Amino acid sequence: MNAYKKEVWFTIIFTILFLFSGHLGLFFSIFPVEGNLLGFPIMYIVPILSGWFGVLFLVIVAGKIGNQIDDDIEKENQDNSKIRGEGVV
Amino acid sequence: MANQVWQLSNPIIGIIVVLITFVVFYVVAYLSNRASTSVQDLYATKGGVGPITNGLAMASTYMSLATFLGVTALILRLQVPFVMLWIQFILAIPLITIIYGTSLRRMGAFSPTHFIRLRYGKEASIIAALWMILVSIMYALGQMIGIAVTFETLLGIPYMTGLFVGGILIVGYVTIGGMSGATNNAAIQMVIMALMFIIPLGAIMKAMGGTGWFFPPLLYADMVPAMLDALPTFFDYKFPTKWYFALIPALTIGALGLPHLAMRVYTSSSLRSARSAMIWFALALGLVFSATYAMGFSGVFFEYTTGIPIAPADTDKLTIILNLAYNPEWVTALVIAGAISAGLSTLSGNLLAIGALISQDIVTTLKPDLSNKTKVRLGYLSIALGGLAAVLLAIQPPKFLIVSILWAFGLAGTTNASLIIMGVWWKKANRFGAMCASAIGGIVYVVVSPFVFPKIVVSGHALTDSMGLSGGMLAVPLSFLILIVVSYITNRMPSLMSQQAITETDSLVERIHGWSDINPKRYNSIVGPLIIASIGAIVFVWAMMPWAF
Repeated sequence: MNAYKKEVWFTIIFTILFLFSGHLGLFFSIFPVEGNLLGFPIMYIVPILSGWFGVLFLVIVAGKIGNQIDDDIEKENQDNSKIRGEGVV
Repeated sequence: MANQVWQLSNPIIGIIVVLITFVVFYVVAYLSNRASTSVQDLYATKGGVGPITNGLAMASTYMSLATFLGVTALILRLQVPFVMLWIQFILAIPLITIIYGTSLRRMGAFSPTHFIRLRYGKEASIIAALWMILVSIMYALGQMIGIAVTFETLLGIPYMTGLFVGGILIVGYVTIGGMSGATNNAAIQMVIMALMFIIPLGAIMKAMGGTGWFFPPLLYADMVPAMLDALPTFFDYKFPTKWYFALIPALTIGALGLPHLAMRVYTSSSLRSARSAMIWFALALGLVFSATYAMGFSGVFFEYTTGIPIAPADTDKLTIILNLAYNPEWVTALVIAGAISAGLSTLSGNLLAIGALISQDIVTTLKPDLSNKTKVRLGYLSIALGGLAAVLLAIQPPKFLIVSILWAFGLAGTTNASLIIMGVWWKKANRFGAMCASAIGGIVYVVVSPFVFPKIVVSGHALTDSMGLSGGMLAVPLSFLILIVVSYITNRMPSLMSQQAITETDSLVERIHGWSDINPKRYNSIVGPLIIASIGAIVFVWAMMPWAF
C-alpha cells in the first residue's frame, strides 16, 4: 500500500476507533447491559475506563503509526524525485 | 439549611494563597515573555515547547473552570448522562492531531483561521474569524462566571464585585504574559489543578466513609450501594440514544473547531513532539476527568445522604461546598487557588485566540502593510477588549456556567470544523462552499439556540437546547453538506474557478500532507465527500424529527 492510502486509511480507522472509545455511552444506550465491574455498574465504569485508558492506548499507537507514515511519505518523495531525475535532498 | 451561605469564614488565608498563586504566574509569565518580540512569538512561542510541557499545557488549557466547577454542578443535576457527555471531551486533541493538526503545523499556520485564509481566501477567513470571536467570547464567558463565583466564595463579596476583581486580574495577567507565559504557566497550572482537586477529593471521600480515598478517581465503588439506596436512579442513562448521538456532532466535532486547542498542537517543537504530547495530554486529562466524575458522585452522595440541599444558585460551587463541608479551611483555600488556575489557563488561551483573530486574521488580512509594532499593540488591545466583553456578558449569567461553554463548541463545529476538515482532505472544497457553510450553518445554529429566539428550538428540552446539543446535531452536518454540495456545483462553473487558483489549492493540500509533488489522484476522491454528505443529510433530518425525552 502506498503512503497516501496508508495516510487516508489510518485517519479514517483511527477517527472511528477514537470515536468508539470516547462514546461508549452511545453504544450502551443502544445495547444496554446489566452487571457490575469493579463494584460499579458496567454501563458507568466501562465508558470511563475506555475514555481514559482506551484513548491513551490509541494515542500511543496513533503516534507511532503517524510518525511511520511521515517517514513513508518522505521516502516516496525521495523516490519520486529520483524518478524525475532531480537531486535528492 | 436551604439558604446556607457557602464561603470561607476566614478570607485572609484564601487571599494569601491566591496572591501567592498569582505572583508565581506573573513571574513565570514575565520571565517567559522577555524574549517575545514578534507577534508570532506572542501567540506560538517559536514552536519550541517540549512534549511533556506541551502535553500538560494542552490538558490545562482544555481543563477549564468547567472541569473544576461546572461538571460537578451538572452531574449533580443530570447524574450519569452528564458523565457520558464529558468523557468524549478527551478526544479533542488526539482527533485534532490526527485529522488536521500535523498538516496545519507542517504548513506553518498558527491558527485554524490562518489555515482558512490560505486555503479559501480572505473573505472566507473573515467570516470564520468573526464566528470564532463569538465562540471564544462565549467560551471565556463561562470561565469569567466561574472566576466570579470563586472570588464570591473566597472573599464573601457579591458576585458582581467578584466578577470585576477576578476579571481585571486575569485580563492583566494574560495581556502581560502572551503565549510564552501561558504555555509554561499552563503546565504548572495543570500540576496545581490535579493536586488541588484530587488530594482534597480523597479527604472528602475518606470523611464520607469511602475506603478508596488514596486513589479517588476510580476507587469509590464501596460508596455505590449507599448511593443506590439514597438515589436509585443515579446510574440510569435517562435520555434517548439520539441525545447520546448528538454529542458527536455538537461536542466532538465542535472541539475540532476550537482555536485555542488547536494552537497547542502548533506550539510543539516538531510533529513527533506533538504526537508525544498527546500521550501526556490523555494521561493527565483522563486522571482529572475521572476525578471530576468522582467529585460529582460525591456531591450527589452528599446531597442525598446528608439531606442538605444545594440551592440552584449554588450548584456551580459544589466542588468548593464539599471542601467547606469536609475539609479544613486552608484546604478549601488551596482548592480555590486551583480553580482560579483552571480559569486562568483557559481564559489566557481564549483571550490570546481573540487577540490573534482580531489582529492577525481580520485587521492584518484587510491591512497587510501594518508595522510589526502596531500588530503586537493591536494584539494586546484585542486581548484586553475580549476580556472586557466576557466580563460584561457575565453580568447576567446563564443558569450554569458550563452552558455557554458547551454552546460555543457547537458553534465552532458548525462554522469552522467543516471548513478545516474538508479543506485539509479534499482538494475540491472551494471558497464558495466554505463561505456558504460557515455563514448559513452559523446563522442556523444561532437561530435555533434558545438565547436568541426562545420559541425556535430543535428538541424542546431546555438544557439540551441551551447546551447546543440539538442545535449542533442540526447545524454541524448541515455545514458539511452545504460545503460539499456548493463546492461540487461551483467547481463546474468555469466563470467562477480560475485554473491558477485550482493549481495553488492542489499544491497547498499536497504540501501540508508532506508531499513535494502534485498528484491528481490524491485528496481528490468524490466517494469520500459523497459519503460525508449523505451521512450529513441523514443526521440533519434525524435532528429535525421529534426528540422523545
